Amino acid sequence: MSLFSPAEGWYYKKVSKDEKMWMMVALVLCIMLFVWMVMWHVYGKQNPSSITYRTSTAEFSKLSEAYTRQYMVGSDNGIPVVRPEPNSDVFVMGEMWRWSPVLILQKDQSYKFHISSRDLVHGYSIQPVNMNFQVYPGYDYVLEFKPTESGEYKVICNEFCGIGHHTMIGKIVVIEEEADLKAYGYENFKKAPGPALEKKNEPLSETEMALLGEQVYTLKGCGACHKTDGSSQIAPPWNGLFGKEEEVIENGKKISIKVDEAYIKESIKNPQQKITVGFENTPMPVFPVTDDEIDQLIAYIKTLKD
Amino acid sequence: MFRTCDITGFKVDLRSEKLIRYNAVFAVISLLLAVTAAILLVFTRYQPVHLLGAEWYYRLVTFHGLNALIFWIIFFEIAGLYFGSTVVLNTKFCAPKLGWIAFALMVAGLVLSNIIILMGKADVMLTSYTPLKAHPLYYLGIILFAVGALLAVVLFFGNLMIARRDKTYGDTMPLFTYGLMTAAIIAVITLASGALIYIPTFLWSLGLIDNIDPAMYKLIWWGLGHSSQQINVAAMVSIWYMVSFLSVGGTSINERVSRSAFVLYILFICLASAHHLLTDPGVSSAWKVWNTSYAMYLAVLASMIHAFAVPSSFESAQRRWGYNKGLFQWLSKAPWGNPAFSSIILAVIGFGFIGGTTGVIFGMEQTNIIVHNTIAIPGHFKGTVVIGTTLTFMGITYYLIPLIFRRKIVGFGWAKWQPWMFFIGIALLSISMIVLGQMGVPRRHWDSSFSGGPFTYNFNPAVDFFWALMMLGGTLAFLSTVIWILIVVISVFFGPKVNGPADMQLAISPPAPEAKSHKGFEAPGTLALTVIFLLVFLALFFLNWKWLAATWNVN
Repeated sequence: MSLFSPAEGWYYKKVSKDEKMWMMVALVLCIMLFVWMVMWHVYGKQNPSSITYRTSTAEFSKLSEAYTRQYMVGSDNGIPVVRPEPNSDVFVMGEMWRWSPVLILQKDQSYKFHISSRDLVHGYSIQPVNMNFQVYPGYDYVLEFKPTESGEYKVICNEFCGIGHHTMIGKIVVIEEEADLKAYGYENFKKAPGPALEKKNEPLSETEMALLGEQVYTLKGCGACHKTDGSSQIAPPWNGLFGKEEEVIENGKKISIKVDEAYIKESIKNPQQKITVGFENTPMPVFPVTDDEIDQLIAYIKTLKD
Repeated sequence: MFRTCDITGFKVDLRSEKLIRYNAVFAVISLLLAVTAAILLVFTRYQPVHLLGAEWYYRLVTFHGLNALIFWIIFFEIAGLYFGSTVVLNTKFCAPKLGWIAFALMVAGLVLSNIIILMGKADVMLTSYTPLKAHPLYYLGIILFAVGALLAVVLFFGNLMIARRDKTYGDTMPLFTYGLMTAAIIAVITLASGALIYIPTFLWSLGLIDNIDPAMYKLIWWGLGHSSQQINVAAMVSIWYMVSFLSVGGTSINERVSRSAFVLYILFICLASAHHLLTDPGVSSAWKVWNTSYAMYLAVLASMIHAFAVPSSFESAQRRWGYNKGLFQWLSKAPWGNPAFSSIILAVIGFGFIGGTTGVIFGMEQTNIIVHNTIAIPGHFKGTVVIGTTLTFMGITYYLIPLIFRRKIVGFGWAKWQPWMFFIGIALLSISMIVLGQMGVPRRHWDSSFSGGPFTYNFNPAVDFFWALMMLGGTLAFLSTVIWILIVVISVFFGPKVNGPADMQLAISPPAPEAKSHKGFEAPGTLALTVIFLLVFLALFFLNWKWLAATWNVN
């Protein structure tokens, strides 16, 4: 009858016994589901946090960079490694396309993560434990994690963030005792010597410059796209780059140039001026780096041979 | 201006019929575009083939989402709204010229957005979360489409007013149209949210606005994105009731209950945006719990009420026809040779057991942690919008071809098993995606071997099996969709004309006889089925919470 007016008296028809029973069961289930969520906040151990701070991409970049610089103990595949104290604040930055830093955590200890993004929306997905959170630019999301099992965890990005989305993968290592570090090749990672190097008054040697350059490379996330092992999925690799002849597009015209100090400086400050052929679809963003840091990066690139 | 249908006896406004036809044709075109992209995407994610490059993968994910979730569904729904407000009510179309303007706007939106996507200017996914930015014309295309759709919804209400004024139906609006009215009201809420977010985003893409806050964007966008799925639910449930009537002469065993359930949809479904913000910063737990539960699950209650009312309408009618033996004779003696009937039964089962269960569980605040943005989420909505809505729309089309296009169905033998093939295909696809997601596989991800990344990750080796199953299911579903499209296109353009009731391949049942007064249960078979459903739901519920409890602690 659903295509016609219902029969007279439809409004007063008694609800049948079985339908009434089912509706009662359904109503009880609905209330139970609601109460369950509320109770999990009391008795459960996994509850998304309500703590968020307003921030800006610039402010959070500064914070997380300072944090990483201070607590960095080494680097793993171009990503800084930090070993935070239990119960301390940990700053995690998501950007196209890396999670930084790599973390060494102690099993059964709590850490207050502050997670934000430098550019787009990202998804913070810890595997294989399979916990997933959303990360926004401009919002500092505070999540207090307590790893309950030791082992190696990966952090993949599960919110689309551009063509290199699939390369965005980070790492968390959870250890029970010091000896566990060996399994990850982290046994020699110690607290960094501190920024004493930069405070010297006399000019730095090329080697010192290159070392600082490597630190900039790691801290600023150059390695998310520019590899040093020759692979070139998203951007030109840096090994063997200095002094190389490169095909670039300038003002829509293809020209050939030699990679020198001036070219690298221009590419960092104004990345759209000359675009390397083959990487037209992955334009480089402008990063906040100082002239000193650029000089250090150049020194570092010079040391990278094929 | 009118013809009287020689099969159903309805007065059909010819101008309305033409609008219904054109909107339906564009629905089918959109579906073809969507599934063509879908099969390429399946074979990209299936890593041994890895068909497309990263760029085209993301481009076609965007393309597929827009054509499947927006264009196919909404064009079909507009056709349905026109049908329910004119033909079913024996009334005329209030403003056919405006109907064509609405249609032209929607077609313009479809063409514009699709061209911009294929040109590579809008690789932003359907959700286009800011600060990802597409070409302004992409947003403009969607705005045009939405304005057209909104105009069509307004015309639907215009038709209702004329029918009411002219008293073309009895005292009470038929249940089918009542359900569609629910869909139309939700559509207004939804399209308003769409305007609220797409217009500023359009201005932002033109450089006229500096910044669109990403959390605000996501909150309002999902007021469009999720609520629009509830338009589908309301439209789909209305069609379920209609097919119960057409195929076995059944009706809701208590129309007041069914209608109240529709009202619950209107009142609570607009809170659904929260389902997408459960693991996000910015909103509090209290806000999340209240909204994600639609104010204590009152919209879920509505679906559970329909879950009983729809099958019981079939059962009660069948029993009155004399199929009274045992719990399930009403089901075994049902008109399984009628593809509309089998589509609807399969859609009810798929929607409930796959889409419904996962929807409620994934939408709870804490369990969302273990599925958010994993491939389990598209797995879930394949179980709602594809196995539910799309299969329902496919099924009802088997009635529309003879009744509205006045053509016989070519290849009727194929039509009989097409719904089964589609059901099996999508069920495999959807269940494998849900399992993959539970193992952490992300959605919208080109390469699960993370090539080019600083590290790599190997998922649980069981994923290989489910990837293969997903590929198989996707292929089956693709083939059966192609079969359906061929049947529809060939029938509509080349099929023999229908000249009266004798040419109907799908039976239209007379209303089932009045029930003799009886004590006890009216639909014991349905009650048994709903209890099974409840047990499956509880099993999945506790499984998911157990998995959640095994993760790290987080606060």
